[in-house]
Amino acid sequence: MGSMISQVQRWFQPSATSWETVKQPSQGFIELRHLSKIFTEGTSERQVLNDLTLIVEEGQFVVLLGQSGSGKSTLLNLISGIERPSGGTVLIDGVPVTDLNERACTLFRRDQIGIIFQFFNLIPTLTVLENVTLPQELAGSAPQDVEAQARALLERVGLGDRAEAYPDKLSGGQQQRVAIARALVHEPRLILADEPTGNLDEETGDTVLQLLLDLTRNAQKTLIMATHNPAIAKAADRVLRVHDGRIDDATAEFTEAIVA
Amino acid sequence: MQSPTSVTNAPLWRLAWRRIRRRPFQYVLFILGIAIGVAMMVSIDLANGSAQRAFELSTDAIAGRTTHRIEAISPVGVDESLYRTLRQEIGYARSAPIVEGYVVAEDLDRQPMRLVGVDFFAEAPFRSYLGGSGDASDSGSNSGGTFGQGVGALTAFLTEPDTVILAQNTAAQYGIQVGDRLRLTLAGQPLLAHVVGILQPANALTRDALGNVLFTDIASAQEIFGMQGRLSHIDLIADSDEELAPIRAILPDSVKLETAQAQKNAVQQMTAAFELNLTALSLLALVVGMFLIYNTVTFSVIQRRSLFGTLRCIGVTQGQLFQLILGESLALSIVGSVLGLGLGVVLGRSIVGLITQSINDFYFVVSVRDISLSRFTLIKGMVIGITAALVASLIPAIEAMGTSPQSSLQRSTLESKVQQVLPWLVGAWALFTLGGIGLLSIKNGGLVIAFGGLFAILLAAALLTPPMTALLMQWLSPLLNSLVGMLGKMAPRDITRSLSRTSIAIASLMVAVSVIVGVSVMVGSFRTTVVQWLDQTLQADIYVTPPSTTANRVLGSVDPTVVEAAYSWPEIDHIVTYNDADVEVIAFNREASGVPAPDAPEITVNRTAKVISADGDVSSGKRPYAWIRDDIRDPWPQLDAGEGVIISEALMLRAGVSEPPQTVTLESPQGPMTFPIVAVFYDYSSDRGTILLDSDIYIAAWQDPSIASLGLFVKPGIDVDSVVARLRDTFKGRQDLVAQSNRNLRQGSLEIFDRTFAITGALRLLAVVVAFIGVLSALMSLQLERTRELGILRANGMTPQQMWQLTLLETGIMGSLAGLFAMPLGYALAWILIYVINVRSFGWTLQMQIQPSYFWQAGLVAVVAALLAGVYPAWRLGRMPVATAIRGE
Repeated sequence: MGSMISQVQRWFQPSATSWETVKQPSQGFIELRHLSKIFTEGTSERQVLNDLTLIVEEGQFVVLLGQSGSGKSTLLNLISGIERPSGGTVLIDGVPVTDLNERACTLFRRDQIGIIFQFFNLIPTLTVLENVTLPQELAGSAPQDVEAQARALLERVGLGDRAEAYPDKLSGGQQQRVAIARALVHEPRLILADEPTGNLDEETGDTVLQLLLDLTRNAQKTLIMATHNPAIAKAADRVLRVHDGRIDDATAEFTEAIVA
Repeated sequence: MQSPTSVTNAPLWRLAWRRIRRRPFQYVLFILGIAIGVAMMVSIDLANGSAQRAFELSTDAIAGRTTHRIEAISPVGVDESLYRTLRQEIGYARSAPIVEGYVVAEDLDRQPMRLVGVDFFAEAPFRSYLGGSGDASDSGSNSGGTFGQGVGALTAFLTEPDTVILAQNTAAQYGIQVGDRLRLTLAGQPLLAHVVGILQPANALTRDALGNVLFTDIASAQEIFGMQGRLSHIDLIADSDEELAPIRAILPDSVKLETAQAQKNAVQQMTAAFELNLTALSLLALVVGMFLIYNTVTFSVIQRRSLFGTLRCIGVTQGQLFQLILGESLALSIVGSVLGLGLGVVLGRSIVGLITQSINDFYFVVSVRDISLSRFTLIKGMVIGITAALVASLIPAIEAMGTSPQSSLQRSTLESKVQQVLPWLVGAWALFTLGGIGLLSIKNGGLVIAFGGLFAILLAAALLTPPMTALLMQWLSPLLNSLVGMLGKMAPRDITRSLSRTSIAIASLMVAVSVIVGVSVMVGSFRTTVVQWLDQTLQADIYVTPPSTTANRVLGSVDPTVVEAAYSWPEIDHIVTYNDADVEVIAFNREASGVPAPDAPEITVNRTAKVISADGDVSSGKRPYAWIRDDIRDPWPQLDAGEGVIISEALMLRAGVSEPPQTVTLESPQGPMTFPIVAVFYDYSSDRGTILLDSDIYIAAWQDPSIASLGLFVKPGIDVDSVVARLRDTFKGRQDLVAQSNRNLRQGSLEIFDRTFAITGALRLLAVVVAFIGVLSALMSLQLERTRELGILRANGMTPQQMWQLTLLETGIMGSLAGLFAMPLGYALAWILIYVINVRSFGWTLQMQIQPSYFWQAGLVAVVAALLAGVYPAWRLGRMPVATAIRGE
C-alpha cells in the first residue's frame, strides 16, 4: 500500500529543470532578436510585431506604452513564453525561451518569471494563501515549506488577515495585491505586468503600483509593465512606445518632462 | 406598421444558429444523446412490433374472413364427423376444416413453415386468394388473388398426395418453381412435397404474411400430421351470435367455440411481459440521454448568461428567452430524433433476429424476414425524443428566463444556488425513494407500476448525487492534498464548484453503470438459479425426444415402438414418460365433487398454461418446491395416485395469487375438472405456468396417449455415454429421435438461456455508450469553460503534464464516484429486477447471487469511461497556446 502511495506521489512530482544546458551568450538580461508576431484571422493575417530588437538590463523597470491593440500584451506574452513568435528569438539570461519546448518553457517561466494580469486571474477554488503558494507547490514544494514565506508576503501587501479567504470575497484592489504576491513568492528575476492597474480605480491603482514598485525595485528585479497610463512611465528606467508593430524608445520624453 | 408591443424572435434565432455553428461539437453530443435514446427505443419497438405483426398478419391471412373457430380442448384435435354434421345436418355452409402444424423446410434455409391443410371447395368465403378463379390473368386484379397455374394445378392439388402451394414472395426468394420438389421434415421425419402452385395474393400485406405458410390439401395434411379422421379446427363465418346457436347446441364437451380475435389476443398476451421488459430497458437509454441533454442545455445557458443579460437590457422579454432555449432544443431534438429513427431502423434489423429467436424459443413460431416500418412506432419515437429533449431543457430554459437584465449573473451565483438546493435534494431523494418503494410494494400492481417504481428509485438516486458528491469532495480534498499535493486539492474543489454539471455527469454515468450492475446480477442470478434448477430437476441419465422445430419446444411425439424397445434394454433401470399440451386454467379454489372443499374463496383465472402429464418423477424427488401441502412430505406419490396435481409458481403468481391455492380447475375434453393442489414447484421452462398431472388421468380425460419425451434412468455402474451411443446405433437411420445425455440437455438449455439474454447484453452496451457520450459532453463542457483558468495555471507554472494530471484526476474522481454510487443503486436495481419485475413478468422467483466481479467490473467501466472522456479536453488544452487560453478564445 505504502509503495503504491509513493508511486502515485512520484507520478505527480514535477521533474527537474532542463534549460541550463541551452544557455547561449546574450547582450543584457533580456534580448529580443528580430522578433515578429503575425496573427492569422480566418484567411487574413495581421502583423502585430515586426522585427523587434531590444536589450533590457537586469534590474531595470521598463514601461511599454501604446494604444489598445498595439501589441504590448503580445510582447509580454512572447517574453514569458506563453505565446510563440512567428519569427525571431527571446533570450532571457542567455536562455532562448522561444526555442524551448513547451515543458521546458513552462518550467523556466515557473522558476524565473512572475506574471501579473490586468484581470487578477486568481484561481477561484483556492484560498488567498493557496493562490500565493501555487507556483511553488506546482514546482513540487510542500505547502508547509512555502507557507511562511507566502504569509510574510501577504503581510507585506496588507492582506495577512485574509489568507484563508477565497478570491470572490476580496475587492479588486485586494485581488490584485494577491496576484502581486503570487507573482513574487518564488522570487523570480523578471516580473511581467500587463496593465496591473487597468481594472482598478485611480487611488487603488496608485496604491497597488506603489506596492509593486516597492517590492520589485528594492529587490533589484527586472520589471516590464504594459500600460496606457503615461504617468507610470515617469517612474520607469526606460519607456518604450509600441506602435505599428515596432517599438520606439521614448525614455527621453519622460526624462525631459521630469527635468522640466 | 409594427405595433409597439409586437416582438419578433428572428434575431434570436439568428444568434442561436451562429452559436450552433461556432460550437458544433457541443450540439453534436446533444443530437447524439437523443439519437441513441430514440434509436434504442425504436429498434426494440420495431423488432417487437415486426415479430407481432408478422404473427398477426400470418394469422390474419390464414384466418381470412373467419370470425369464429371450433377447436378441440385436447391436442388430438376435432373429430371430423363434427364438420360433416355441421355441413350436412345443420347446413352451415360457411364453415371450413383446417389441419395444420409446423414443418421445417430444408430447402428454405431450414425455417419453420406453417403447413396448412385446407378443403379447397370450402375455402371461397374464407380465403379469397385460395378460392379464386384459378385464372392466371386474374392475378393483378383487385380480387383476392389466385394460385394461377390453371386447372391442372388445381387437379394436382386435389388429387395427388403431398402437394403444396406456396406464396409468390417465398418462391421468388428461393427460386422455387411449379413442379419443383421441396424437402420438408416433420419432427425429424423427411417428407418430399411437390410444388403444384404459386400463390399470388393481390394484396401486398397478404403476400408478405404468407411468406412462411405452405398450403396443402386437407387429406395430405391429415396424413402428414397423423391426424386421420381429425381436424385442428373448423373455421366459421358468422354475422351474429344467433347464427351460431344451432352449432352450440350440438357441440360436444371436448371442443370449444371461440372468436378468432380471442385466440389471437391470447397468443399476443403471452409475449406482452417479454416485450414490456425490453421496452423498459430501452427507455433507460432515453433517460440517460435526458441527463445528457439537460447538461448540454444548462451549459449553453450558463455560457450565455451575459449575452442574455444584454439582450434583456435591450428589450428581449423573458418569454422570448424561454422560447429561444426551447426552440433550440426543439430544432436539435428533431434532428436527433430523425437520426435516431434511422439508427433505430438499422439497429432494429440487427436485433429482430434475436427477438424472434426468443419468441420462437419460448412462445410461438414466427418468421420475420425484415422489420416492418410501423408509422406509429416512428411517430412515437419522434414524439418521445422531442418531448424528452424539451422536458430536459425546461429547467435550463426557466433558468435563462430568470436572467437579470441589470447584471449578467455569473456561474458562481448559479453554483451557490445549487449549494442552497442541496438539502432540498436530499428531501426529494427521500420522497422519490419512498414513492418508488410504495409503488413496488403494491401487491398485484402490475408490471407498469413496478417499472414506475424502478424509475422512481433511479431518479431518487440521481437527485442524491449532488449532495453526496459535495459531501465526499469535502472529505476527499484534504486526503488527496496530502497524497498528491496541490492538484489533489484542486480537483475535488473544481468538481464541487461546478456541481450543477459535474453532478449531472456523475449521475448519468452512475445510472448507466448501475444498469450494468443490476442487469448483470439479475442475469447471473437467473443463470445460477436455472443451472441449480436443471441440476435438481433433470435427474434422468438420457432424454429421448423428437427433433424440435424450435429450440426448446417439442412439436411431435415419440414413436410408441421406440418406447417399447427402450423398456426391454437391460441397461435401463426405469423410464419416465412425459407429454404436454396447452390447457385453459379456469379457476383456483373451486369447489367440486370428490375434492375437499377449499376454505378460501374461488379465484377466476382463465389463462392458458401447459399441462405436463408424467408417469413418474424425472427429478427422482430432488425437484425444488416452493410449497408442499402441510399434511404430506413428498407430493409425488400423491400425484402418482391421482390424488392431486402440482402447479408451477409461475401459474400462481401470474394469475396474481400470492398464497398457494387449494384446488385448480382445468378445461378438459370431459368438461371442467378440478384437482387438489399438493405442491407448488419452481419451473423456469415456461412463464405461462405449468400443471403436473398424472399420465393416467391425462390420457383418460384428454384422450391423448402420445409421448413427447422419455427420461431414461440407467442402472448404477453403467456408462451413460455408451448407452447413448448404443441407442443412437439401434435407431440409426431414424431421424425422428434425438437422444441426449443429461449433460447435453443441460448445456442446450443454457445455450437457449444465453441466447435469450443476448439482447439484454446489447442494450446494456448501448446504455454505456449513451453514458459515455454524456460524460464526454459534460467534461468537455467543463474543461472548455475552464480554458481561461487552466491558461492562468499554465502561465503560473503548471506544466502540460500537470494539466493532464489535473484533468484526468478530476475525470477519474468523477468516474470513481459514479462507480461508487452505482454499486448500491445497481444492487437495488438487481433486487427490484429479481424480486419484483421478474416475479410480475414471468412468475419466477430467482435466488439472488452476488458476484464481486459484477461490481468491480462495472466500477472499472465507470472510471475508464470517465478517464477516456477526459483525454480529448486535456489534449486540446495541452495544444492550445497559453495566451490564447488566457484570452478565453
